[in-house]
Amino acid sequence: MTGNEQPPAPDEPLLSVANVSKIFSGGRSLLGRQRSAVRAVDGVSLELRAGETLGLVGETGSGKSTLGRLVLRLVEPTSGRITFAGEDLTAKSMAEVRRLRGSIQMVFQDPYGSLDPRMSVGALIAEPMIVHGAPRADIPRRVSEIMGLVGLDARLAHRYPHQFSGGQRQRIGIARAMALSPKLLVLDEPVSALDVSIQAQILNLLRDIQQRTGMAYLFIAHDLAVVRHVSNRVAVMYLGRIVETGPRDKLYGAPRHPYTISLLSAVPLASPALERTRSRIPVYGEISSGTAVPSGCRFHPRCFRARLVAGAGKVPTVASGDGIIPAVCAQQDPKLEGPTSEHLSACHFGPEHDGRIATLQPAGERA
Amino acid sequence: MMQPKPATVLSIRGLTTTFPGPRGDIVIVDDVSLDVARGETLAVVGESGSGKTMTFHSALGLVPSPGRVVAGEVLLDGADLLRLPPHELRQRRGADIAIVFQDPLTALNPVFTIGDQIGEVLRAHTRLSRSSARKRAIETLERVHIPDPHRRVDDFPHQFSGGMRQRALIAMAIALEPKVLIADEPTTALDVTVQAQVLELLADLKRDTGMGLVLITHDLGVVARYADRLAVMYAGRVMEQGTADRVFETPRHPYTLSLFRSIPHLDTPAGTDLTPIEGLPPNPALLPTGCAFEPRCFHGGGREDCRSGRPALTPTDVPEHAARCWHWTELASERRPS
Amino acid sequence: MSADDRASDLAVPPTPWRQLAETLRDHLRHPGLAIGTGLLALLLLVALFAPWIAPYPPLKTNMSNTLAPMSSAHWLGTDQFGRDVLSRILLGTQVSLQVAFAVVALSLTAGTLIGAIAGFAGGWIERITLVIIDILLAFPGFLFALALVAARGSSLESVIIAVAIAFTPRVAAVMRSVVLTIKPRPFIESSRAIGMSEWRVLWRHVIPNALPPVIVVATVSAATAILAEAGLSFLGLGVQPPTPTWGNIIADGNSLITTNPWISLSAGFCIAIAVIAFNLLGDGLRDTLDPQMKRQTGRGLL
Repeated sequence: MTGNEQPPAPDEPLLSVANVSKIFSGGRSLLGRQRSAVRAVDGVSLELRAGETLGLVGETGSGKSTLGRLVLRLVEPTSGRITFAGEDLTAKSMAEVRRLRGSIQMVFQDPYGSLDPRMSVGALIAEPMIVHGAPRADIPRRVSEIMGLVGLDARLAHRYPHQFSGGQRQRIGIARAMALSPKLLVLDEPVSALDVSIQAQILNLLRDIQQRTGMAYLFIAHDLAVVRHVSNRVAVMYLGRIVETGPRDKLYGAPRHPYTISLLSAVPLASPALERTRSRIPVYGEISSGTAVPSGCRFHPRCFRARLVAGAGKVPTVASGDGIIPAVCAQQDPKLEGPTSEHLSACHFGPEHDGRIATLQPAGERA
Repeated sequence: MMQPKPATVLSIRGLTTTFPGPRGDIVIVDDVSLDVARGETLAVVGESGSGKTMTFHSALGLVPSPGRVVAGEVLLDGADLLRLPPHELRQRRGADIAIVFQDPLTALNPVFTIGDQIGEVLRAHTRLSRSSARKRAIETLERVHIPDPHRRVDDFPHQFSGGMRQRALIAMAIALEPKVLIADEPTTALDVTVQAQVLELLADLKRDTGMGLVLITHDLGVVARYADRLAVMYAGRVMEQGTADRVFETPRHPYTLSLFRSIPHLDTPAGTDLTPIEGLPPNPALLPTGCAFEPRCFHGGGREDCRSGRPALTPTDVPEHAARCWHWTELASERRPS
Repeated sequence: MSADDRASDLAVPPTPWRQLAETLRDHLRHPGLAIGTGLLALLLLVALFAPWIAPYPPLKTNMSNTLAPMSSAHWLGTDQFGRDVLSRILLGTQVSLQVAFAVVALSLTAGTLIGAIAGFAGGWIERITLVIIDILLAFPGFLFALALVAARGSSLESVIIAVAIAFTPRVAAVMRSVVLTIKPRPFIESSRAIGMSEWRVLWRHVIPNALPPVIVVATVSAATAILAEAGLSFLGLGVQPPTPTWGNIIADGNSLITTNPWISLSAGFCIAIAVIAFNLLGDGLRDTLDPQMKRQTGRGLL
């Protein structure tokens, strides 16, 4: 650590997450047995620049929501460093972190549960300003201004959350997060609880807000099409790790990691004609739990590429579950590296091994 | 109007369900007619509150009180389910027509083993002994690809992963080889890779047994991949129906078209603008007198005939296809944006 | 936005009075709540105006007219000292309600705070508090009251403190369990995310949302407080004679139960009415105060 802190250079990232882990220790059960610890986030690094949107995709249990909460220190990291606008968040006291939360805000998935049912909409939007000591006289004007910004009628400020629809409630949640004009917004599945016809309203609203304010977004979602729509860069998480990250078009156009490839193939396209000609890539089993992380590469029990490479027979292999895979996959944790410094993937083997993918059939799945 | 085709196994005609409201009855399912043929997958698409789930609950006599089916018939192999005495309807449910619910955790009883729950379904409808019911349960679990079924049959629901629970529910539903299986949003609670596995399983089971499959969903991708025919519901009414290929290629209802345009697709150029459907999903108690979609419609919104008159579900220029819109001909002259 | 346009015709803010009137009307539709509130209002009026309603001074003895039967002059007759029983009962209402309200106020305040802090803080604070609550709950409340009266002398305050201490752990236990259900709700995390301190989250979001069930418990505890006061006074350990309380009146009439049963019975009847009133009120509040329950009825079907 150098003593003289410089102001951040213009191209310095707004948010930098360096090798951050979160292990939820299981504590003890009623009978005094040690419960197993959950490795929710395991050595993740990422960077986010001002005005940029980083999409974070993954299945349930991938640790993407925990990572979002680590950025706000709503969850305490077990190890690693989180730097925001040149300040080390992990080294700060809780009171300082609370003050900094004016600059990092979060929008939650559940538009029904994330608003206190006993507070009016106006009070909910005013609350962050009161907490951060905004001059009282300005607050009512600012509340109606923000309500206008997110497309809510300011005359509805006296109403209560249950009098609004899901989409409108999510607007209230966004208004609350925007009340302090943050530099970074962590969006945790902001549209997945909404009706399909409402999702576009919220996605367009978020795009407009970003264009107007230059806020950076960390957009967490499981819907690959939504993430592709909003992101500049995308990171794919699996069991607490980032397995692939890259610019949006590279990652979706030429995915490198077998998990990304499997995910993309599993998403059905809204076109029967395309669906008929599309090759399906098998995915084996389900995501393991964070209490029992597989050895070596943590995706190996579900990996089609491992089976293909082992089938080609040029590497030493081992049996794993119901398949034969290369020994290296079961023994060594692959590093996140890539052809370019932008597009990284954590796999021992490259996508050039996927040529014979059509020969694979999922175990017992299809005749 | 349309006669049921010979292969039709389930035919819902003019089904109407109401709930009493403060200002008169609220129509939740409004004159819905749907056919499912043997070995066919019918997808019923709609947002929450569109009546898609309630349609099939009504058809199976599962409308929660104080709701009431006020009109229509539900023909399963020619017999009207709505006019069967309760005990016969119960016998038909599960044996001839089965339903798989959305939430696999709450639909399973946490204090009984998976095997007990499948066995219970079997023993409620057949005279199987306890041990042969258990044998059948193991066989059924094998059919839904539960690994190691001999051991897993004695597991409790919480010992199963989300995808396996949904498989177990499917196992319960197909245990008696029903003629029609209704899957109500079977994969919304699941991750995309597991969703693909479960839907493939349903498609395989349908192909092997020749049962009719009803897929209730809001996901257009799922429809495109798995459905033969498709009905789009809105405000308790069928707005458009036809073969999946036709409805996707040449939609003739503004609501269907709006649904396509309002969600991001993986096969369109990245960053394609989304056109949201403005306004709120319909409130069944406050439907407009004319077309239910009129207040949110980009196409007919504000036109006099749309506001005053309710369009009927009429055949369009597309074969085997019908839409409930006064102005579908204008859509027909537009090209579908891709 | 058309969504908001449609909602805007409802955008006229309702006046506070109309809102209050509507809430009241909603609540009073519940029969138990209406009857309970009515009875309690009646008791309150009696307590407030007792000195003026009472036909005779309650302490005035009249040795020439002892144990008079019911008559137009003395509706409930007189006791062995010639005091008017009706007047004594009317004045006794004051003591009973005083005990009830004081106990509710004390145990609600203390129990809410202790329970909320225990549930919200978790960890060792919660464990220690739970142990103390369990010990107090296991200790017979009446025995505790007897001990306190023995130590402090018998007075109205002793009764109130004893019963309040007996009830605080009950309120605290309920409060803690409600707080445990509120703590994981997303709006608590969302409050933290905007940078609120833990105290502020507790004060502004946790306690207001946890209060309704606790108020119900406290209301029911008022009924038990009235019974406890009557019991202690009956044993001569509560409010000291000649101050009229319902318990004292029963004690006075105890020896005359065969000849002048009205003295004890009428006081007993009043205790029953007050207890029923508080219990009905508690049940009614439980049904109407919970907005979740209100929202579930009818709405979910659509």
